[in-house]
Amino acid sequence: MNWRRLNNVLHRDLGYLAVALTVIYAVSGIAVNHRHQWNPSWRIDREERRFTPVPLADRETMVAALVERMELPGPPKSSFRSAPHVVELFYDGWSVKADATAGTAVIERPRSRRLLRESNFLHLNEPKGLWTWVADLYAVVLLVLALTGPFVLKGQTGLAGRGKWFVLAGLLVPMAFLAVLLWLPGDGAPPREEGAGRGRGGMEAAGRP
Amino acid sequence: MKPSLRTPVSALAAAVALVAVVSVGVAAPARAATTYGKGVSAAEPVKLSDILAKPDAYVGKTVKVEGLVTDVCSKRGCWMRLAGDKEFQTIRIKVQDGVIVFPMTAKGKKAVAEGVLQKFELTKEQAIEQAKHEAEEAGRKFDPASITGPVTLYQIKSTGAVVD
Repeated sequence: MNWRRLNNVLHRDLGYLAVALTVIYAVSGIAVNHRHQWNPSWRIDREERRFTPVPLADRETMVAALVERMELPGPPKSSFRSAPHVVELFYDGWSVKADATAGTAVIERPRSRRLLRESNFLHLNEPKGLWTWVADLYAVVLLVLALTGPFVLKGQTGLAGRGKWFVLAGLLVPMAFLAVLLWLPGDGAPPREEGAGRGRGGMEAAGRP
Repeated sequence: MKPSLRTPVSALAAAVALVAVVSVGVAAPARAATTYGKGVSAAEPVKLSDILAKPDAYVGKTVKVEGLVTDVCSKRGCWMRLAGDKEFQTIRIKVQDGVIVFPMTAKGKKAVAEGVLQKFELTKEQAIEQAKHEAEEAGRKFDPASITGPVTLYQIKSTGAVVD
């Protein structure tokens, strides 16, 4: 087997191996890139309810009254008073935040976004442990795919032909961003503090939570 | 008929699939309590009421607290709010975006978190912006008139937590 044959076998079989994880990581990547606009893993259904106001008392009494007046399905698994008139009731997978004196409540039911939740769980390495090694191995596979890809074909469509221009274009895109945003001085550069300019990290760097 | 595992790469594919299956099998039993980030040390927890009674004595120090999770960042899971041993008292457990992601299902569960207590002195305008941001994230209504002056906030910049 010559080197190109071996290269192509590697590229082909590792490519097959990487299909599932590449789809998972790509879909999750797009989803979490926009997490400042939405929660990529969960959607929260909110329902506003009104009930006859409950007089202030100790937490257990108020919880019992709220369960009865809101016709909730039994006592909650846990509860908490965040303010004298605000009682929070926690059920399995959903919760109620009630303003006892105003007689208003919001019921929140988080629901995982099917497939996206699972993709993000893996992509963001929430399992930790052995999954870290699987993800590392996948990264190595991607590296091998990237390095073997340009040598699959030869001639005009290979690396020596037009392939080199595509490789160069692919290199220029990140380089251009790095040059403008990181390397070159100027007003366009983001703050250099750790975490600054990215979500709430910027707030924290500015002395805010 | 040709053998299915003709090349070392094909054997590698089978090996990786096996690792994936084994990893799921190993990870599955550890679901009773979930550890986030570095988890927590064996140190004794400090009562939240003690911290909030004299917060400045704890600012900059590593503290371990335990309590009921009353809220979770609904956008990124980058913070959760813990209720302590007394009514009306909570503290925000903030983690680095993306490094630790608290699930929405943590609400109502017991949790232990560890990290450094931070103090933020916000002007009225900053406090309004902060509260407005949190309300937007939680999908709640916010009345700017509810904030009447500068606000001092305390939060724990956490490196790890365990949620039941």
